[in-house]
Order: sequence, then C-alpha cells, then structure tokens
Amino acid sequence: MMNVMTRTEAEVGAGEQIKVEARDVNVFYGDKQAIRDVSVDILDRTVTAFIGPSGCGKSTFLRCINRMNDTIDSSRVSGLITLDGQDIYARDLDPVQLRARVGMVFQKPNPFPKSIYDNVAYGPRIHGLVRDKAETDAVVERALRDAALWDEVRDRLQEPGTSLSGGQQQRLCIARAVATQPEVLLMDEPCSALDPIATAQVEELIDALRQEFSVVIVTHSMQQAARVSQKTAFFHLGNLVEFGDTDDIFTRPKDPRTESYISGRIG
Amino acid sequence: MNRGRHILSAFDRDLETVQALVVKMGGLVEAAITDAGTALETRDDELAEEVRRRDRAIDALEAQVNEEAARLIALRSPTATDLRLVLSVIKIAASLERVGDYAKNMAKRSNVLAQMPVIEGAGMALRRMAGTVDQMLKDALDSYVHRDAALAADVRQRDLEVDQMYNALFREFLTHMMEDPRNITACMHLHFIAKNIERMGDHATSIAEQVIYLVSGELPEESRPKRDSVSQIGLGEGDQA
Amino acid sequence: MTQTDLPADLQSRGHDWASPRARANVARRRRSETVLRVVGLGAILLAFLMLGILLWTLISQGSLAFRQTHITLNVPVAAEHVDPADPAKGNYRRVIAAAMSETFPEADTTEQRALSKILSNQAQFVVRDKVVADPGLIGNEVRIRVPVSDPYDQLAKGQVDTTSAAETRRLSDVEIANFRALEEQGLISKPLNWALVTANDSRFPELAGLKGAIVGSAYALLICFLISFPLGIGAAIYLEEFAPRNRLSDVIEVNINNLAAVPSIVFGLLALAVFLGWFGMPRGAPFVGGLTLALMTLPTIIIAARNALKAVPPSIREAALGVGASKQQVVFGHVLPLAMPGILTGTIIGLAQALGETAPLLLIGMNAFVTSTPATPFDASTALPTQIFIWADSPERGFTSRTSAAILVLLGFLVMMNALAIFLRNRFERRW
Repeated sequence: MMNVMTRTEAEVGAGEQIKVEARDVNVFYGDKQAIRDVSVDILDRTVTAFIGPSGCGKSTFLRCINRMNDTIDSSRVSGLITLDGQDIYARDLDPVQLRARVGMVFQKPNPFPKSIYDNVAYGPRIHGLVRDKAETDAVVERALRDAALWDEVRDRLQEPGTSLSGGQQQRLCIARAVATQPEVLLMDEPCSALDPIATAQVEELIDALRQEFSVVIVTHSMQQAARVSQKTAFFHLGNLVEFGDTDDIFTRPKDPRTESYISGRIG
Repeated sequence: MNRGRHILSAFDRDLETVQALVVKMGGLVEAAITDAGTALETRDDELAEEVRRRDRAIDALEAQVNEEAARLIALRSPTATDLRLVLSVIKIAASLERVGDYAKNMAKRSNVLAQMPVIEGAGMALRRMAGTVDQMLKDALDSYVHRDAALAADVRQRDLEVDQMYNALFREFLTHMMEDPRNITACMHLHFIAKNIERMGDHATSIAEQVIYLVSGELPEESRPKRDSVSQIGLGEGDQA
Repeated sequence: MTQTDLPADLQSRGHDWASPRARANVARRRRSETVLRVVGLGAILLAFLMLGILLWTLISQGSLAFRQTHITLNVPVAAEHVDPADPAKGNYRRVIAAAMSETFPEADTTEQRALSKILSNQAQFVVRDKVVADPGLIGNEVRIRVPVSDPYDQLAKGQVDTTSAAETRRLSDVEIANFRALEEQGLISKPLNWALVTANDSRFPELAGLKGAIVGSAYALLICFLISFPLGIGAAIYLEEFAPRNRLSDVIEVNINNLAAVPSIVFGLLALAVFLGWFGMPRGAPFVGGLTLALMTLPTIIIAARNALKAVPPSIREAALGVGASKQQVVFGHVLPLAMPGILTGTIIGLAQALGETAPLLLIGMNAFVTSTPATPFDASTALPTQIFIWADSPERGFTSRTSAAILVLLGFLVMMNALAIFLRNRFERRW
C-alpha cells in the first residue's frame, strides 16, 4: 500500500509554499504503533483537514506537529517533520518555543479561569512578545479581531473567559492561539462541542484565518472537512490512505477505504 | 467504485428507490420508441395515440426522480459515488424525459403522416433507425444498472452509426422532394422524425457518459464521435444536386 | 435462540404488564427498595443517637466546669502576720484563717482550720499578691473573690448527696452547715469560669485551666503546618506532575498511602527514638510535638494535594502547553492555583486530625505536669488532648467535669477548623 500521495513538483503552483513537511513519520505509544510511515506536505495559507475513524491516528499525527506528544511519557516519534525546512525534532530545538510558533486549539473550549484579556495576553507575556501595557492591549485587540470576537467582548475584557458562550469560548481559544503570532494553527476537532450556529461562525473564522496562517484541522465531520478545507488527508489504522484536494476526495476518492468512510459504508 | 452497503440501511433503500424509478422510466421510454416506430410503419393511429398518452407517465416519473434526488441530497448529504449517483440519476432522468418527448412527437407526426401518400421505404428505414437507438438506450441503461463502463463506451461509439443513418435519410428525403413537390409535406415530417431519432441517440450517448462518470468519477474528455455532415449539405454538394 | 426457547407469554411481542407475574415483580422490587431505605435510615439514626449520647454526656458533665463557685471575703491584713518590710514573706495562711474566724467568731481553732479549707489554696497567694503590689494595705482589709476548694465547689453545684451517711462523704455535717451559712450571707457566687482557658494546669481542680495546653497545641500545630504544608505540596507536585511513571513511583505511592494508615503511636515511637534519642531535643516541647504531628500529617496532605491536582482538568494543562508554556509555568501558573482550595481543605482536615492526636505526644513527654504557659515552642508543655488525658487520670471529683469541659473545648476547635475548611472550599472552588 502506498501511503505517500503528495503532489508532484509540477502540481505545486506558485504561492503554494510547503509549510510543514512530514516524511515517513512513525509514532509509538509503548509497544503500540499509532502512526505508520506517514508523509504529507502541509501548504502555507491553506486549510488541511485530517479525517478518519476514531483511533486512526489523525489526532496523534496532529500533535506531532507541535510536539504535544512529548508530554506523554511512553510516546516515541521517528521520521522527519520540518517547519519551514527546519527539523522540529532536532536536539537543539526548544519544544516550548515551537508551540508558540505552532498554535493549537482543542476539542473542548478550554479558556483559563481568568479574564478574557488575560487569556489572550498570556502567550505573548510568557514569550516576551510584549514589553508594556500598551503593547499588550494592542496584541490582545488584534488577536480578538483575528478571532472575530472583538466586537462581542470589547466592553467586558475583564470578565472571566468562562462566562462566555461555548462558541465564544472556542473563538477566545483561537484568539489565545493566534496571539503569539504562530505560523501554523492546529485544531483538534474544534467544533465537536459547539452548536451548528457556533460551528458555522468558527468555520467562517477558519476560512478567514487562512489568509494569514496555515491551518490544520482534525474533524469527525466529513461535511466540515468539505466545507472548510482545501486539502484533505484520510487516515485509517495509523496509515495515511489518501491525501489530495478536498473536492477530489469528496467526489472521486481513489482508494476504496476512503470511499467507504466518506460515504458511510461498511468495509 | 464501491458497492458496499451503507451503515445506515435507510440510505441504501433511498438510493435503490430512486434507481428503480429511473429503470422503470427507461422501460417506459424504450417501449415508447419501439411502439412509435411500429405505429409509423404500420400507420397504426391507435398505437400512436397510446404512445402520446403514455408520455404523461414518463413526465410524472421524471418529476418523481427529481423529488427523490432532492430529498436524498437534503437528508443524506451523499458524497463520492453516492453523490455521483444522485447527480447522474437527475441527468439520466432528464435525458429519458427528452427521449420520451421525441417519441411522443414521432407518434404525433405519424398520425399526420397516416393521411398522406406513402414515401417508399421511409417507414422501414425510420423504424430500423429507431430500433438502433432503442438498442443503444437499452444498452446504456444496462450499463447503468451493471455499472459497466465498457458497455457505456460502446454505446457512445454506436452513435456514429445513427448519425450516418440520419445523413443517408436526409439525402433520400431531399431526393424525394426534388422528384415530386407534393411529397414535400410528408418528407418534412419524416425528416423531423429522423432528426428526433437522431437526437434520441444523442441522449442515449449522454446517458452512457453519465454511466462513465458514475463509475470512474470522470466525464469522458475527448468529444464524442460526430458524423453529422448534414449541416454541411448545400455547401458545394448542393451545387451538384 | 429459537422462538420456542422464549417463555410462553413472550412468544408474542406484547408482554402483559398487568399480569400477576408482572405485578409480583414490581411488588418485590418495591419491597427490596423499602428495606434498603429503612436499613439506611436506621443506620443514620443510630449514628445520630450515639453522637447525641456523647454530646449529652459531655455537655451535662462539662457544663458544671463552665461555672466555678467563688467566695467573696474581706480579709484583714494584720501586721503581726505580715512584715511591712518584706510583705512577700508573710504568713498569709494565718491571714486567711483570721478572716474566716471573723466570719465565724464562735469557732474554735480546729474548726477555724477546717473553715480555711473552704477557700481554695490560691486564696493566700491572691492576698499576698495584692499586698506585695500595695504594701499600704497592711493593717487594712483586702476584699478578695477566690474560688472555693473542690469539695465545696461540688457541694455548691449539688454534687454532694447530703442525705447519705457522713462517713461516705468528703464533708462532715458541720462543714456543710458552715458553707450553707456562708451562702446565706451572700458571700458565695458562681460566675463564668474564665479560668478554664486563662489559667494553667494545677493540682487543685478549682484552679486548673487549659491555657498552657491551648498554647502548646497551637505551637505544635504551627510547627506541624510550617513543615508539612510546603513539604506535602512539594511532594504532591513532584509525584503528580514531574515524576516518571515507573516501578519506583508506584512503590512510593503505595508507601505514602500506607503511611497515612500507620497507627499514630508508631510515629510517637519514631519521634522518641529519633528526635529525643539521636538529636537530643527537649522532652515535652511543642516543637518536637509539631515535628511528630508533621510526620503524621504529611501523608494526608500529600494524598489530598495529589487528588486536588488530579482534579484540575487536563484541558487546562493542554491549553497552557498549547500556547507554549513550560512545564513549570503550567504547574505554578495554572494547575496549582486551581488546586489550592482542595489542597487547603485537605491540609486543614489533616491539621484537625493532628490537633486531636494523643498517643505520639504521650510518648515524647507532652503529658508532663506543667503549670506555666510555654513562652517558646521549645519549652515543655502539654497539648489539649494530653491535658485531657492527664485530667481524666486525676482522682479529684472536680477534674471529672473539667475533663468533659476540656473535651468540649477541643471539639470546639475541631469544629471551627472544619468549618474553615468548608468555607474555603465553597468560597474558592471553581467549576468547569
């Protein structure tokens, strides 16, 4: 089985720069192999969706990109992942700094139990991106505007982040992630806890974020992958089965496993 | 192509329902072509009348197919093969409905032709042409039912034959009209019938193309074989005639 | 399963929910539910009954000690008994005796000696202190109000059965008559017994108080808190957040859980051997008591703190890690503040346990008879539970009620600490 379905050089058009490049990535949890020989190119200013059944390794692979798997003792990663050509698993690369460059938004909205302002300002503060109150204010405002939340919270920045609605909380988490000016934004099922309206708002936001960031989104909703992404990767049992343009994947998938999964068939 | 069952069995039932409607429609249309051809040759007014009557059922079926397809898209959000199936079903139903209309038109004209002098050989030639198109349509629908892309490709090729038959008939009718101007009315009607049958062939081809799309996900790229030289008649050739 | 395997009434899909079998089934289920409810209610009522009996016994006994019988007396300080040049060396026992003879002029010398015993032994020192403070009182009268001695205190509180045979009582009929005479003169009063918490321990029950014990316990708890709180939190953070999960950490975890269940007297033996034996620390010092209690409290605090840390949702950790916080920033910036209410609650519960702990303190000598308040944690002292232990061991009748009163004081402190724990939990606990 060929796992690699990257685009040939000719297909990569102008302006479609490769941001994250993964080659033969394997992930083990103890003795169990969670990811097998995955190679994928994630383009700049593009939304890439990872789909696949539960336990297929899509979230695991996502967490390799900002080395969140490091926090699990038994996990081991082999292969090469580069960000702008730089090996992110290199010995001299600081994983904590990497996570500022590769932001992450989680399944459940998880604002800190602090004020809206402090939630957004936290990242820039600990990374020393801001020097004084004025700069912090500016960074917070821009992040909240990026997350399409500014107009809703501008008058209550000191209220706790947990007082917002679910959809607003998730957008606050996105604001918190973009506040450190990341280059890549990873989203792990960001809408699974949201109602359809909030989901639509977050999807609209993802589409807008594409202008500035490279977005990778893991989703269980095939419709969502179809709606927001330009590229789709289908994972199955730790393998990358198919990777290509989203419209191709959803109208004429090449692999029967992809076809079965996206059309909801047995087998 | 994936023909595994859906996890949601109601989805499978819906897809089967809409396909069954198309197949039923195909049967009606095939019968309409055959009967229209027979009515034309045998000058059977009653049969022609029945063909015209039965077209209403075909129209109703097309509406039903469209409704079912819309419901499927709304409720099941089909993707990949399922999506292509629903899209092709809509297009095939539209094609079949057009073919049914042509058959009805044929029957209408055969009622008129029954009052006119017989044009020697025209009835049989038209019925043969209709038979060829009928077979194409039958094969196109078979290829659809069996997801047989090879048969569908064959149907596309056979459209050439129909085009050539039409060209031959065109010249024949032209000859008849030049020989005796009293034949002009009948020949015009006969010509329209021939043109209708030729259009039916085009629709059968279009159905075959939908089958290829359904199976492979790609519409055949190269333009299909055309040998409709009628549009050229009169340029130079006409000078000699 | 074939259709024939089904019971007859399920052969057809429609089960008759009103059939006798179905009704019997419902009745059986309701019956067992009722039995369960009755048994549970009974258990709780029994527990309340026991608690009620305990409290009733304590309060009915201890309430006697909350009032102390006092006698108010005008004491003439004659120069023949007290030398104005050195008032501290005076014969104040004679001064008191003289005062009593004034109150009972007709009594002879033997009777006067018995009459002096109505007053607590403290009376002569009260007079002495007043005279020393103001030597000008010599030759004048001093008005004092002092506790009466224990037998008369019991008499005043109705604890002496005056109708029983004279030989079985500690007071003769004459003594009782004398006391009644004093009562009739209005010289006897029963004010609130503040001495219970403001006085130190004494051989005489009417004078004994808990001040030394309370201060001793406070010192011990303070030392215990200062040692076990930071150590406990540190250990919990390390085990929960930083330690690798392996065989060693499993062993440590099991051992900490076991330590929490080790009988406290074992810690006392350990403290006796290590703190007193090896390090030569002073016997009966609250400092040593605090160290011992810290040993006991540590496992409790570690377990409570680990549970509180564990209860912080992983999403908060992920969120902080996700924006690029280091492990240390995650723990001290996010996890620990959120876990603090739980940790504090656990700590207070642990300290409350330590407050009531007796056995280890007995072993390190905090049950000595100490009549002064410890000025520093290194002075010998008792603690509340050991003081109760000492009093319970004393033969005087007055100590019986004082023991109960001391238990009530201890319970009061425990209730206060638990109330504080509940307050902290409700005030600062966050919901996610």
